[in-house]
Amino acid sequence: MQKGFVAYNNEQKSLEAETEGIKNSQTLIQKAMNWFSARSMFVVAYGTGCGAIEMPPVFTSRYDIERLGVVGVATPRQADIMIVSGYCSLKTLRRVIRTYEQMSEPKYVIALGSCTINGGMYWDSYNTIKKLEEYIGVDMYVAGCMPRPEALIEGFVKLQESIRNNTIQPGYVKYREDYAYYQANQEKLLGKETQPVYEEDYAGMNLS
Amino acid sequence: MKNLQKTYEVTQKVERLFEVTVTQTDFWEAVLYISTQTEFNTLSQIACADWIEEEHFLLTYILTTDARDKNLMLKLTLGREYESMPSVMTLFPQAEVMERDLHEMYGIGFEGNETLYDFVLEQWHDLPPLRREFDTLAFVHEHFAFKGGREDNKDVKVEQKRRREEAKKQKALEAAKQEAKKQETEKQETEKPKEPNTHATDAEETQDKKPDTKEAEDGQ
Amino acid sequence: MFIDLLIMLVMAYGFGFLYYGLYRNISARVHGRFGPSLAQSFYDSIKLFTKDTSTDFGWMFFAGPIIMASGAILTVLFIPYFNHGERLVGLSPYGNLIVVLYFMVLGPLGNALGVGSHGNPFGAMGITRGLTRLLGLEMPFYIAVVGLMIANESADIGTIMANQAETYNIIAHPLLFIAAFISFLGFLGKSPFDVVGAPQEVYSGPAVEFGGKFLALALSQSAIFSFAKLLLMVDLFLGGADSLWDLILKTFVLFVASVFVGNVYGRFTTAQSVDFLLKVPTVIAIVGLLFV
Repeated sequence: MQKGFVAYNNEQKSLEAETEGIKNSQTLIQKAMNWFSARSMFVVAYGTGCGAIEMPPVFTSRYDIERLGVVGVATPRQADIMIVSGYCSLKTLRRVIRTYEQMSEPKYVIALGSCTINGGMYWDSYNTIKKLEEYIGVDMYVAGCMPRPEALIEGFVKLQESIRNNTIQPGYVKYREDYAYYQANQEKLLGKETQPVYEEDYAGMNLS
Repeated sequence: MKNLQKTYEVTQKVERLFEVTVTQTDFWEAVLYISTQTEFNTLSQIACADWIEEEHFLLTYILTTDARDKNLMLKLTLGREYESMPSVMTLFPQAEVMERDLHEMYGIGFEGNETLYDFVLEQWHDLPPLRREFDTLAFVHEHFAFKGGREDNKDVKVEQKRRREEAKKQKALEAAKQEAKKQETEKQETEKPKEPNTHATDAEETQDKKPDTKEAEDGQ
Repeated sequence: MFIDLLIMLVMAYGFGFLYYGLYRNISARVHGRFGPSLAQSFYDSIKLFTKDTSTDFGWMFFAGPIIMASGAILTVLFIPYFNHGERLVGLSPYGNLIVVLYFMVLGPLGNALGVGSHGNPFGAMGITRGLTRLLGLEMPFYIAVVGLMIANESADIGTIMANQAETYNIIAHPLLFIAAFISFLGFLGKSPFDVVGAPQEVYSGPAVEFGGKFLALALSQSAIFSFAKLLLMVDLFLGGADSLWDLILKTFVLFVASVFVGNVYGRFTTAQSVDFLLKVPTVIAIVGLLFV
């Protein structure tokens, strides 16, 4: 991978190193499926942090990501890709996990900004998580604080390349196969209820 | 304002900011009086500071007028050991969220506010995080693991100081250089003015000479 | 016969998605963008067919999209593609215009059944909006179609097409055409009548819980259905098509007209669109009925 906006650093390498040699062991149909899922991406853009500001220019006239086949959708049920844009507070993480588990496979995650890699400028905050990949499967890191829209576009292009050539083990496969690890991490941080519970309404009345 | 000055000792902090200090027992009476009898009838904020050395919280109710042209700070101190205050929700409904926030971040109770459950922090079982005995760094190191790559991090303040000094040295060097240049240019300038003069005198001389020649020609 | 039906379906699928790609491209140019490639809609459809489905809300949830798709497929099979031809007439000898109008309502009803079985409030909101809007859409369209039936003294699409050999219905009954065209814009589900699936308000409305294969089915049926409506408009008002090029030209002109209308006007709310549809095109259709 040539040098570019996407940080090709230890973080990204650690995602790719485990899976050398998957590439050649796929049938023609799998190759075709990979090609189509790389060519058409439905994105649910989860605006957790300041990265939410960088996404609208990507999807609208200025940078027009639709020419790459990337379209925004409104619900996680229809989505292939989730963008976690920036820091994730504990409360948000519950929603992120629920959104991630609602998506149907094959699904991918782009983590935008330094905060998702190592806490970023919120490294000593009690209320934001430090490493997103401990809690859900992550496929692409776009480093920066904040990354410009060009960086996000490059992230998409690299992700499309790696899906098409099958050079990474997708995060959802890791999440499914190693679910005990992810669940342990989630429960360590969030307690038994790792997903939001909507039992109380505004006035504190119990609805159930 | 006159009403207020009759009953309470008002100090003026800045042009449009006033301050009244009350005790915890007088608080309810004071806030009732101020909100009904004076022009400060709206609550805009409740601020809280944790004075751990003096073992109390400093609560500041900031009240404004209808025209939003004057602010009144109603200050009182409150013990740190999970004491509670009367809620002002009956006077100002907007206080609900502020009191809920204070309850969550400092552990202050508000009697009469029934919404003091999870607000921003969901299912938080630790100390209220804005109390100063809560050790943020210890909490972070206990609950989160960091990736490698932060080891070569430098202390920001030390590094800032070093850079500032470096920049100062650089500036001094540049200033010295510029001064040297200035002196050079000044020297040149002091030398320069002579040359145009000489030219001018030359031209004058040549001009002077010409008539001479003309005259000479005429004379011929 | 069966080969004919298959070709009709494949053509409807192909043209439907091609026109949808064109719609996205033209809208992109209006916005000042480049837009996706023409085949993007095919890629989306094929990719969605290869995806898993992670939802389960009982059998009615799965039956909903299938009823919807069968409504669209039956509609397209009962509309003849060509004027007085023997090929690609589908099932139209066995049914008439009334059957087609009946099948056109089947899709939204199937959708409502599927959406009703999951508890998502946005889906229910979307389908309520859709059925309310349908109430407004049907009135002018049915009046216009009834006008054509009276004028031709027949409910057979083939007969109506054959009677237009000299003058098209768009010239003979212009008021009926205008009413039917406005209603047709609504049936296509594009702006200004796109309040049903507005992504910013009801999170894509009826499709909110559909993902993977069922979303693919829903998208395919909407492509087939919009081509069926284009065909119906061409058959009823533009004299049908004599050849493939004629068919492409006529459907394309109608389609581009609808795209431009959609790009110029903003979105109506549900109440506004029903209000508008029950006032303007219905009155036009009734006045047109007087001239028949």
